[in-house]
Amino acid sequence: MTRLAVFRSLAMAVGAVSMVAACGPGGTPSSNLASDQTLSFPMVDDVGNTDPATMSAAVDIDIFRNTYSGLYKFDDQLNEIPDIADGQPQISSDGLTYTFKMKHNVKFSNGDPVKADDFIFSWDRAAAIQGDYASVFQPVVGYDDVSNGKATHMSGLKKIDDYSFSATLSAPAGFWFTETALWTAWVVDQKVVLAAGKATDTKWADDPATAIGTGQFKLTARTPKQSLDFAPVANWWGGSTGTITKVHIEIVADQKAQLTKYESNGYSLIGFANQSLTPEDVIRYHSDSQLSKQLQLLPGARTTWIGFNFCTGKGTPSKNCTFASAFAGDAGKPLREAFSLAIDRDQLVDIACSKGTACVKATGGVITKGLKGYLGDNTDQWAKFDPTQAKQLLQQGDPNGTKTKNLTYTYNATAFNKAVCDNLASQWRANLGVTVQCASTDRASFFNARTKCSYPIFRHSWSADYDHPQDWFDFLFVTDAGSGGACYSNSQLDSMAKDANSKPLSQSLDTYKAMNKILVDNCVTGNLVYTVLQYLAHPWVQGASGNSLYDNYWSDVKILQH
Amino acid sequence: MRGTLLYIGQRLILIAVTTALVSSIVFLLLHQIPGSAFLNETRTTPQSLAAHLHHYGLDLPLPQQYANWAIGVLHGNLGESLINRGVLITPLLIRETSVSATVGAFALIVTIGLGLLLGVFAALRQNTWVDYIASSAAVVGYSIPSFVIAIFLLLIFGHYFYDWTQGTVYYNVGWGDWTQVPVPAIALGLPYASYVARLTRASMLETIRTDYVRTAWAKGLRARIVVTRHALRNALIPVVTILGPLVTGIITGSVVIENIFGIPGLGKEFVTSILARDYNIVIGVFTFYAGLVGLANLTVDVIYPVLDPRIRY
Repeated sequence: MTRLAVFRSLAMAVGAVSMVAACGPGGTPSSNLASDQTLSFPMVDDVGNTDPATMSAAVDIDIFRNTYSGLYKFDDQLNEIPDIADGQPQISSDGLTYTFKMKHNVKFSNGDPVKADDFIFSWDRAAAIQGDYASVFQPVVGYDDVSNGKATHMSGLKKIDDYSFSATLSAPAGFWFTETALWTAWVVDQKVVLAAGKATDTKWADDPATAIGTGQFKLTARTPKQSLDFAPVANWWGGSTGTITKVHIEIVADQKAQLTKYESNGYSLIGFANQSLTPEDVIRYHSDSQLSKQLQLLPGARTTWIGFNFCTGKGTPSKNCTFASAFAGDAGKPLREAFSLAIDRDQLVDIACSKGTACVKATGGVITKGLKGYLGDNTDQWAKFDPTQAKQLLQQGDPNGTKTKNLTYTYNATAFNKAVCDNLASQWRANLGVTVQCASTDRASFFNARTKCSYPIFRHSWSADYDHPQDWFDFLFVTDAGSGGACYSNSQLDSMAKDANSKPLSQSLDTYKAMNKILVDNCVTGNLVYTVLQYLAHPWVQGASGNSLYDNYWSDVKILQH
Repeated sequence: MRGTLLYIGQRLILIAVTTALVSSIVFLLLHQIPGSAFLNETRTTPQSLAAHLHHYGLDLPLPQQYANWAIGVLHGNLGESLINRGVLITPLLIRETSVSATVGAFALIVTIGLGLLLGVFAALRQNTWVDYIASSAAVVGYSIPSFVIAIFLLLIFGHYFYDWTQGTVYYNVGWGDWTQVPVPAIALGLPYASYVARLTRASMLETIRTDYVRTAWAKGLRARIVVTRHALRNALIPVVTILGPLVTGIITGSVVIENIFGIPGLGKEFVTSILARDYNIVIGVFTFYAGLVGLANLTVDVIYPVLDPRIRY
């Protein structure tokens, strides 16, 4: 090699090293990063629960998945991947015993090592506290005793050594592995929780001094109903926490106020933690060629539909039933179909979904597009617009108009629900000649009455907790499902659900799809729209996005010079 | 002095009794409202619902719930939010009261300051254009509800003067900057200022025609001395009389104004907690309001003898 060639090689090597050194983990040259790496964004409501055992709102989970973690997590495509776990669990041939191995280097933000005891403690206390998602551990042997307060430890959980433990289920549950990636299964520091009080106390999680987790960030300050602050965990066990040095969240109830501050660079973004813009603002941003560069619209995981009541009399088919609904059973099927076919969903989306920026029409069944179990575009034959057939079906189902007289569609009062109801009522009047009153009620009264199947026709929606069809059927459509509101009961569906739930998703997906098809064929739900998520971020904010269920981790965000 | 202290003591006991009665009635009535703070579109199961109720003691018989709550109140503990688990209500309401008090105090300054100024000028320039303008403005101001004034002010400061304000004066985009106080305070205080102006004008007109004021003029005292020291002081007595109900009006009016401007105060909490069925906060807010109104009225009554030496307690 000549001297020149050696010099050239050396120069190239130095250049390459310099470039690598100048780049952050995401490939952004550090010289392009702003000196202030504060990520700030608003939320309409404060977090509801700060303890993983009691969390249930999407807002809580989107925030605290940055401060807590569990054995597994979901990647950008919602695939379940190991987090604290060292690889996939070993599952016994009968599908009953899961053996989890843990990474040895995992530490809480206070430096305490994470051991199998911490997981067993966390899962036991979650079952004992009985938060909304405690049922994640329902399949584990001993859950009932802990949930009833007869025991403090689920006998199905067994420590093998400091870094491995097993969970034995009472019956095979193919969906359970997915549930181990949920927030209820996040690990908390046994030492810290017990030092603050009883195992089932939750106050430790509100205090920044004791809110200890294994995530990349740590709560540093909280003023209830006003603000939350977080900082990256120094020497985080998982490596880099990205470039963000502070996260500041403000509780601002008024969406207009949020945008005002965003537009004066007071916030990095709007959209994290399930936030959205007002209809007129999202249309303004979407329709302007320059402003639209700041707006991202992504498919969400929520479906909204018309709920039809399936009660056929007092106590049938569910104990909650108090009256006979015109929409129930085979007799009510033509009416359900008529009410669904009479809706021009394009018009609905245009008006109620801010021209498709807040939601898109649902044409592939109740499970949201993009999630496992979705039936495919235009597979719901009752989601098309056919006023002629709708009128025929109405005539067939209610020849003298007595069943559809004085009908009231009830919803919990939000601007979106009102817009949907107003549009549905106007379309039913125009396309069916049926007058339906819109009745709004406050959230608490609405859910209280809907749980008791009190409404003949009503608003319903469901946001997936995780990408598994079991999350839809077990809580909405099996007999006496807790969140059904329609008192729907179908023994065939119940038995299919039981079978599918016992198998891994690879073997049960077709069954779940067949169940979804049963719902579609029987027009059990008048599927309306799938939600669209909105992320508004300045051009100098990178990584402000997410998938249908979760926001990006804060560590994925970078603030560029501006 | 002893009599005054005795009077204050009696009134404080009365306020405590009234507050206890109000909160007890609210406590009992709230539990009759259908709906639950714990029901939502998530996986609420009968077991988890029972656990929620147990955590907050809502599964106990009502008398026992009431006893527990009363014991908590005596210890200065109004309980824990049902919606935001772990959030203690007493510190939350104290913080929110300070926000409301800031706006309320400023509104009171607007009410009294502007009302007196308009009233005095209108009386001193009776049947001139000053009087006509001031009187007409007072009638208009009194006729327009505070929420309409609030919307007008939002339009002016949030739209026409946007370049100057950047919107920060009118919404709760990080409450805490003093520049955020005046606009909602004006919206809250303006209707009452109009009322004070009308009352002051009438009272001043009556006072400036009295013999002792005529004597003051005859002595050759300067106009400022005659007006402020002799006429206004006596003219203020009817104004102070209505100060009690006026402060009450400002406190209750803040419920509307705080919601319009998004101010994180007691008024906004009042509405959001009722809608969310956050019983504990609702009871707490009512307790705070009852106490505040009582104390505001007491303060006014204590000011009374300062202006009118004939009044003794």
